[in-house]
Amino acid sequence: MYDKEKKLVQSYMNGGISRRGMLRGLASMGMTAATASVLVNAVATEALAQNGFDWKKHSGTNLKLLLNQHPYADAMIANLENFKALTGMTVEYDIFPEDVYFDKVTAALSSGSTEYDAFMTGAYMTWTYGPAGWIDDLNEYIGDDSKTNPDYNWEDMLEGVRNSCAWNGQPGGALGSDDAKQWCIPWGYEQNNLTYNSRLFREAALTVPTNLDELVGTAAEAKAKIDGAYGIGVRGSRSWATIHPGFLSGYANFGEKDLNVSDDGKLSAAMNTDISRAYHEKWVQMIQESGAPDWSTHTWYQAGTDLGAGKSAMIFDADILGYFMNGTGNSEAGNLAFAPFAANPDADAPTPNIWIWSLAMASAGKQKDAAWYFMQWASGPEHGLFGATEKDFVNPVRKSVWADAGFRSRLDTSYPGYVDMHDLSAPGAKIHFTAQPLFFDLTTEWAAMLQKMVAKELPVDEGLGQLEASVNRQLKEAGLG
Amino acid sequence: MQSVSTLERILRGTAISLVIFFFMFPIFWIFLMSFQTNETILRVPPSMVFEPTLTNYRSLISGTLEGSTATLEIRFMSNLYNSLFLSVTSVTVGLLLGVPAAYAFAKLKFRGSEDIAFTLLSFRFAPPLLVLLPLTIYFQKIGLADTYLGLIWVYQLIVLPLILWIVRGYFEDIPSDIEYAHRIAGHGFWSTFTKIALPLAGPGIAAAGLLAFIFAWNNFIFALVLASADKQPVTVGALAFITASGINYGQIAAGIMLSIAPTFALALYAQRYLVEGLSLGAVKG
Repeated sequence: MYDKEKKLVQSYMNGGISRRGMLRGLASMGMTAATASVLVNAVATEALAQNGFDWKKHSGTNLKLLLNQHPYADAMIANLENFKALTGMTVEYDIFPEDVYFDKVTAALSSGSTEYDAFMTGAYMTWTYGPAGWIDDLNEYIGDDSKTNPDYNWEDMLEGVRNSCAWNGQPGGALGSDDAKQWCIPWGYEQNNLTYNSRLFREAALTVPTNLDELVGTAAEAKAKIDGAYGIGVRGSRSWATIHPGFLSGYANFGEKDLNVSDDGKLSAAMNTDISRAYHEKWVQMIQESGAPDWSTHTWYQAGTDLGAGKSAMIFDADILGYFMNGTGNSEAGNLAFAPFAANPDADAPTPNIWIWSLAMASAGKQKDAAWYFMQWASGPEHGLFGATEKDFVNPVRKSVWADAGFRSRLDTSYPGYVDMHDLSAPGAKIHFTAQPLFFDLTTEWAAMLQKMVAKELPVDEGLGQLEASVNRQLKEAGLG
Repeated sequence: MQSVSTLERILRGTAISLVIFFFMFPIFWIFLMSFQTNETILRVPPSMVFEPTLTNYRSLISGTLEGSTATLEIRFMSNLYNSLFLSVTSVTVGLLLGVPAAYAFAKLKFRGSEDIAFTLLSFRFAPPLLVLLPLTIYFQKIGLADTYLGLIWVYQLIVLPLILWIVRGYFEDIPSDIEYAHRIAGHGFWSTFTKIALPLAGPGIAAAGLLAFIFAWNNFIFALVLASADKQPVTVGALAFITASGINYGQIAAGIMLSIAPTFALALYAQRYLVEGLSLGAVKG
């Protein structure tokens, strides 16, 4: 790199000039924004290399990663050359589409394959992988100064997110407890809030709802007033993925739980309460009145596609789904706006349930220390900032990235309301489910019961009674209840 | 008389057109989608009037997919090549092993022949996922994991029983007297097999080969579990268009058009054998 450009970038890194000033300066030297971002990160990497940590310890090692096809993986790949330069390691990766990704992961882990050193996972999946002995507790790496660079700054990770990836393996054990094992490192995460079509809202003179009753009303009003669009997009397929986004975020906001944990550690269904019944009734009514006509088939993809195509007025789902749908290629690109959503009118703030794309280490791997080098780099503040400002590594899991003025201004410019929504929701954002091995079975059954309620096959109270009985029976059979 | 015949012709033509329309409309619609962007595909109400674009085919062939937020690398053409290679090689191996075996099971009655034939058929009974985990462990131990050779071997679970049991029926249909006559004329066993049995069972072998090819082409799970991303067939590769940042309907449609092309061409070319072969095998003398 030429000295002049390097000095300019270093001046930006030291806070001497603004990002805009740096870009303007580099542009005057004939550099594009894309080249500038690579330079910025190269300088950040150089700084990282000088923190006294032996980054070259595993030089020459070849790592293999298993990745899900996702913007987070794209951001990492775009920055991978810097990791190679920093460590002298080489990296290969296999990328699989999400539809089949977890089949591939499960097959690789359960067969004891040594092919992959590290892989992407969801925190929920580690509730299966961890107790099975397929992945390593990463606490031993995080706490080891000889293996973790001094600038890694583990405490910089958002607390709710960090804790959500740690579990002691006891069914019902609190996430992030003192004896918890860190099964995975958070990488990027999703909160569940409102994304609405500001154009449709403006044209139909709708106001953004702030609680569940308003949500039900606004969705119905939107359906009545907007031609060719339905009121609200929420997921509805017979899958655990129907429960974890908007539904559970709103449910948790009323202080409700999925399971009770008794003093002796036994689990029992907690969804058949008066408050839960009232919540289910409103949720079911909302879908019946203003949901997608084919709601029972809706997954992430349908909820997002309809919002991006102007077929739904809003979604109560992952914030990054709205973020993606606000991008080019969607007819409503630029029209989407974001709002925090607390379903309970008496709640102080939203309590979004979260999905966390994380990095985990295969226990069968043969190059664990080297794999940890990659994991700490990929989840470190430098890469986090690069991904968030230059790619679509949103939402970042680090407080320092959220504090970055460049990142906040980028979001503010193109994604109205996103930063405020995040700031307000982040303190209450965590996994609100009870960690236990039957998670996928029980939540899938919950989704199936919701389908029956929406289809009017069962009244809500009867449906919840049946669900409670079935959940309790399954927990007992598994020795958990 | 003439007017009745004309009416009949018109009615028949209309009926055939309706049937063709019914079966071909989805393909036709997908064909149209493959020349549209996501925005035009998803507009409300849908329309058949649009400005055609080759972007979808271009991204598949060039290997770069322009997403709503980023540019993704895709390996669709490599997936297509993998499907072609795996299917053709597996069916070839399956025919080389299966046809002589089918002849043996049909013509040479030996102890345990039915048991062996049934055992081979039973490979089709087991759910693939049940077989795959132990197979993965085995393959890792003997170095066949993530190799084309390993995959072709595993694909025999699909193609071999199919070829063996279909072709066996055709060999059984060939009257033994013809073969005896050839043998009496001084020809050997191998000559009887190649000069008499194989030509007579030709349509059946072609039909079995074609069906086996289609089954192998449509397989999804074996390569997914046993191989890396660079060896995945088109059935797995096609899922790359369903991304977290949206479903790329245009590319999916273009991918479908490209991926059905080989089987479609093969089926068109071999349909005479297929119909003849299947009907021959269906009626026992």
